[in-house]
Amino acid sequence: MKVAVAGKGGSGKTTIAGTLARVMAGRGVPVVAIDDDSNPNLALTVGIGRESASGLPPLPRDLLEERPNADGTTRLELSISAEDFIDRYGRAAHENLTLLVLGQPSHGGSG
Amino acid sequence: MLNGLVATTSRLTIVDLEAGLEHLSRGTARHVETLLVVGEPYFKSLEAAGRSTALARDLGLADIQMVANKVRSARDEESMRDYAARHGIPVAGIVPYDEAVISADERGVALIEHQPDAPSVTAIRRLADDLLGARPSPGSPR
Repeated sequence: MKVAVAGKGGSGKTTIAGTLARVMAGRGVPVVAIDDDSNPNLALTVGIGRESASGLPPLPRDLLEERPNADGTTRLELSISAEDFIDRYGRAAHENLTLLVLGQPSHGGSG
Repeated sequence: MLNGLVATTSRLTIVDLEAGLEHLSRGTARHVETLLVVGEPYFKSLEAAGRSTALARDLGLADIQMVANKVRSARDEESMRDYAARHGIPVAGIVPYDEAVISADERGVALIEHQPDAPSVTAIRRLADDLLGARPSPGSPR
């Protein structure tokens, strides 16, 4: 099952996404929670403290490969499998639950 | 990157999207099975949820459901259900306004650890069960 959670800032979407991930993981299903928000706060709601969440390894750009589409355009795809990616860059948040933070602000701005 | 991950992982995946759906690609949207749009019971929030829903429909997402959050009263719930019904958006769950969310945040701990039996957590457990199919979906006839 692939669920995405959207909402305005302050709507509580992150609390709902994180708690949902914890509950589902608690049902014995392996879950990956992906933080795609540019203001990452999912770590907290899945049970990882703010400090350890900020220690996550940065995601290297060369993991993406350009591949051609049938219509002549190109798309970017992962050069390693999703499972390898999650194992390598994810953070164990709880039993059956891995957190992946994608939305780190790019450097150059202070955020 | 998100696209590749969501497309190929075999794990149950929950993505906390950036606020607003402007950055959601058609590629990623194709692999998302269910989009939950979180809204609060006031006009601007509902309008934003409505816009997100319209955008997600344009991206080809079929299963879009609203989660009403910070609901304080039966009247709040009614106004959200009313908005959702008028826009043809199924309501996946109703999460009550809950001080436990604020106190968990202040303490910097997970809500589910701070107060596992908080009303908001109970509502999210119900939502999870509905999504996992452990309960009949709220939209289906009983």
